[in-house]
Amino acid sequence: MAVIRGEQGSVQFDAAGSTNATVVGTRSWSLTTTKETLDVSAHGDTFRSFVGSMISGSGTVELVYDPDATGQAGFIEDVLTTADGADASFELFTTGSSTGSDSVSFDGIITDMEITSTVGEIVIVTCSFITSGTITGNLE
Amino acid sequence: MAAADLNTVRATIEGRLATELAESPAIPVVFHNMAFNPPNNGTWVQCLTSFGGNDYLSQGGTSDSFNRIVGIVVFNIFSAKGVGPGANYVVGKRIRDLYNRVNVSGVFFDAPTGPEALASPVPEGYFQTQVRVTFESIEEL
Repeated sequence: MAVIRGEQGSVQFDAAGSTNATVVGTRSWSLTTTKETLDVSAHGDTFRSFVGSMISGSGTVELVYDPDATGQAGFIEDVLTTADGADASFELFTTGSSTGSDSVSFDGIITDMEITSTVGEIVIVTCSFITSGTITGNLE
Repeated sequence: MAAADLNTVRATIEGRLATELAESPAIPVVFHNMAFNPPNNGTWVQCLTSFGGNDYLSQGGTSDSFNRIVGIVVFNIFSAKGVGPGANYVVGKRIRDLYNRVNVSGVFFDAPTGPEALASPVPEGYFQTQVRVTFESIEEL
């Protein structure tokens, strides 16, 4: 058994969806994956039955803002992409940064970027995203 | 990117004070672990730099990651006893202005506390005030 701490994680991203690279300075990430359900109960049933349907995901990535950190500018400014074709690729790692290992990968769109500057605190950027297409889990 | 050199951080802090107090009117200053003979009934400053608890600032393991290093600098300002606090507070202002919200070589100094008059000077025989400044430095691995 080996538990994992958050600081072991990382985020890789490529706005063009070709070669992911680590976004330096990520503080946290989260991903919520949701499967819709369809009610397939038949007339006469006394208990409802469901089947799984469409799967989608959304989440956030929080960064310690550093304009010089590798990958940050491309990540936080992707929200400004107009006519976004959902071609950006993400890979969220629970530990390490080996492609396809201890991670979840998907294409998606950054839908929201919030930058917060507070007296006495480090400037923080929070980006929200939604997935588009297949979500590939490598969390086993 | 490399691990922080805390001795460099210390030198940055102490060097700034040494440069300031070498200017007229020059005031003797002593740092941690230094032999020193306080001037009789004169003004002098003791500067003590200490590092505190550090914490994770970002993800990324031992590379491509940030840590936060925090610490405090305590300035003990000693001046002649029995002549009022004015001369002491003049020195306190010099020190306070030197660090107040300043960012030097990646070391962020917070708003200073003090000068606070201490009821029991150590060593005895002086009027003592204390200025404290917390600071923060970001380690980029």
